Amino acid sequence: MAREDSLALLARGEIPERYQRNIGTIGIDGQKRLLKARVAIVGAGGLGGTIIELLARQGVGFMRIIDGDSFTPHNLNRQILATERTMGMNKAAVATARVAKVNSDVETHAVPVMFNEDNAVELLSGMDVIVDALDSINYRLLLCRMAQKLKIPLVHAAIAGFTGQVGTILPTGPGLEKLYKTTISSEKGIETVLGNPAATPALAAAIQAQEVVKVLTGMGETLSHKLLYFDTELNIYELFDLG
Amino acid sequence: MRIEVRLYATLRRYALSAAEGVFNVDVPEGGKAADVIASLGVNVDEVHILMINGVSSPLDQVLAEGDRLGLFPAIGGG
Repeated sequence: MAREDSLALLARGEIPERYQRNIGTIGIDGQKRLLKARVAIVGAGGLGGTIIELLARQGVGFMRIIDGDSFTPHNLNRQILATERTMGMNKAAVATARVAKVNSDVETHAVPVMFNEDNAVELLSGMDVIVDALDSINYRLLLCRMAQKLKIPLVHAAIAGFTGQVGTILPTGPGLEKLYKTTISSEKGIETVLGNPAATPALAAAIQAQEVVKVLTGMGETLSHKLLYFDTELNIYELFDLG
Repeated sequence: MRIEVRLYATLRRYALSAAEGVFNVDVPEGGKAADVIASLGVNVDEVHILMINGVSSPLDQVLAEGDRLGLFPAIGGG
């Protein structure tokens, strides 16, 4: 079934069976909003792979998936799109193929190049939400600047070891400069020491996907102006105010 | 005056006591967050997020009795 068919059913107050278990949570109106939404996912690795899987199942109508990288064996411990069969394949292309298997309502646009200053405006314009699933601090900061310039909400997460952080950046609110020193010489954080295990990116990605749903449907309270920090080693889950 | 310091992730190795990285320190009146960081021997370059009582704050913020000072490294993995 195509997205138009699902939207036609929802417009008549009927629920496509594949979304039946979504409706109690987000309602028919929320499902319609998701199916009409356009989301850019920047990075299709540990965070991005899980976000794409969840948003496809939730029924987000359009995803632009941006990643110029290809799968290697060290991705296999945590990246849901990395399998022994996808080694060497472009991450955005693999993500698109996965979405097609999960939900034919969802249109995808694979962009098999790295996000950068030159392609940022072209790739991000017209999106309703942007998801930061990158692994480079410098490029995260660039993505945040561009999202705020284009006035598009950005859902950020980053992980290292047992720890992770998630927040939603609004065009007029504090940006990622509150989380990263802009003078940083290294593009990486403490993940170079603590590693990137299996569960941590999935946990952060699930919260990010839920943030995308909240931003798109207008439901609940988003993590705007806030930072959710977790450390599952010590059972720390704290909410901070970014001012 | 006395404040509570909370060190997160890799910064816990600078903790004066307790493996969880939470401990109290005495700070002179007028002391700033940067002074506490220096007195603990924490490399300020490793501190990317600084929270006072749960609110993002600058290094030169003057502390008050009972403040909770949280220090975080950069987390960048994806």
